[in-house]
Amino acid sequence: MNTINGAQVKKVVIACDAGMGSSVLLTSQLTKALAPYSVTVEHTPVNKIPSDADVVLCHTGLADRARQSAPDTVVLGFQMFLGDPVFTQLENAIKAGDTLAG
Amino acid sequence: MSIEEKSSTPPEQPRQARLDRIRSGVQRFGGHLAGMVMPNIGAFIAWGLITALFIPDGWIPNETLAQLVDPMINVLLPVLIGYTGGRLVHGQRGSVAGAVATVGIVAGADIPMFLGAMIMGPLAAYAVKLFDKFAQPRVGAGFEMLVNNFSVGIISGAMAALGMISVGPVVQSITQLLGSGVQVLIDARLLPVASVIVEPAKVLFLNNAINHGILAPLGVDRAAEMGKAVEFLIETNPGPGLGILLACLFFGPRASRATAPGAIIIHFLGGIHEIYFPYILAQPRLILAAIAGGASGVLVFLLTGAGLIATPSPGSIIALMAVTPKGSHVSVLAGVLAATVVSFLVASALLGFGRSARKAASDSEVSA
Repeated sequence: MNTINGAQVKKVVIACDAGMGSSVLLTSQLTKALAPYSVTVEHTPVNKIPSDADVVLCHTGLADRARQSAPDTVVLGFQMFLGDPVFTQLENAIKAGDTLAG
Repeated sequence: MSIEEKSSTPPEQPRQARLDRIRSGVQRFGGHLAGMVMPNIGAFIAWGLITALFIPDGWIPNETLAQLVDPMINVLLPVLIGYTGGRLVHGQRGSVAGAVATVGIVAGADIPMFLGAMIMGPLAAYAVKLFDKFAQPRVGAGFEMLVNNFSVGIISGAMAALGMISVGPVVQSITQLLGSGVQVLIDARLLPVASVIVEPAKVLFLNNAINHGILAPLGVDRAAEMGKAVEFLIETNPGPGLGILLACLFFGPRASRATAPGAIIIHFLGGIHEIYFPYILAQPRLILAAIAGGASGVLVFLLTGAGLIATPSPGSIIALMAVTPKGSHVSVLAGVLAATVVSFLVASALLGFGRSARKAASDSEVSA
């Protein structure tokens, strides 16, 4: 279990199987939401998560692979691509400086 | 804190953990296969469009431009796959070795060697990687460039020769065997049964692995020969997912009713099928609707002789129409429509036409 304070999050990586489809969709949405906090959002394949990622977001069905690929990074799993509470949780934690764990 | 923890239930843990491990292992292997193909989809589209336009049956037949078709499918696309496969294993040096080795099996083959490229590209890169591991600490100062260039040259050249003589013929007969296996299923009208495997596997995020790793390499041989292949339609048909999303829109739980309209646009027009997987994962019995829809779609494709020139990626109705050969648009649309209707009806029935959602809503009010 890794933890990070929301205030320290500078780079969020969204991972999907190929890093070309659903992750790109979420990247464009989250980039807008997180731009006010100067957090960058990137999309990658789940096997190639960059080491400078502060938080990784991916579907729960891929979370095992994300944890293997980035063992020292907070991995947050979501279930729905649209309107999942995890996205709001992440935004709120970054805004308020709450601790994120996963 | 994370959703992951809440969803793992203690009693079934050992068995569940093993299943999860198997699933992520298969996902990872499939991810490597898809990872060799998907970065090159643009080249597939270029080939698909040129083919659709300029071959003798195409929209604007042109003998000169049609000469582009064979070199692209037989050489360019396999070499790109081998190059990308090499890059996955060993970066830039690996990709060069992968490309050279792939030419070894491409030259002289009479079918597009996609499967061969998926083997030779990573294999050649791995050979270079092993050599680098051994040699790099031992190379004297000033000799690095000499050793680096000649090691890739010698190793990849040797792999190309080896591939041409030994691996190529083997892969060619395996590809043809698999292809004729599919042909048997088509002839016996049994291909719809494939949906029983394909649809559940898709929802477990094996969609790219199945389409780009298995079905597309099989279809490309038939497409090169006959001008179209039904293999490209099996996984990419957006109909089953559309039917399920429509059923969720009308009869689903309140949460999914709110997000379904956006999901329908992203799925059907944008072609990102992943968007409907969570709706099935949340209510696993809906997989029956996906299977029924997928099988009906494939059946209609077979009966009407539908096929695509290249694999549509992403699986958007727009991409499907773009790679449909002249004269097949009606049959492709018929299969998509059949899949949508059947999957919608089955999913609606499984959702009790809204009754179960109303019941769940009242239950949760009671428990809350």
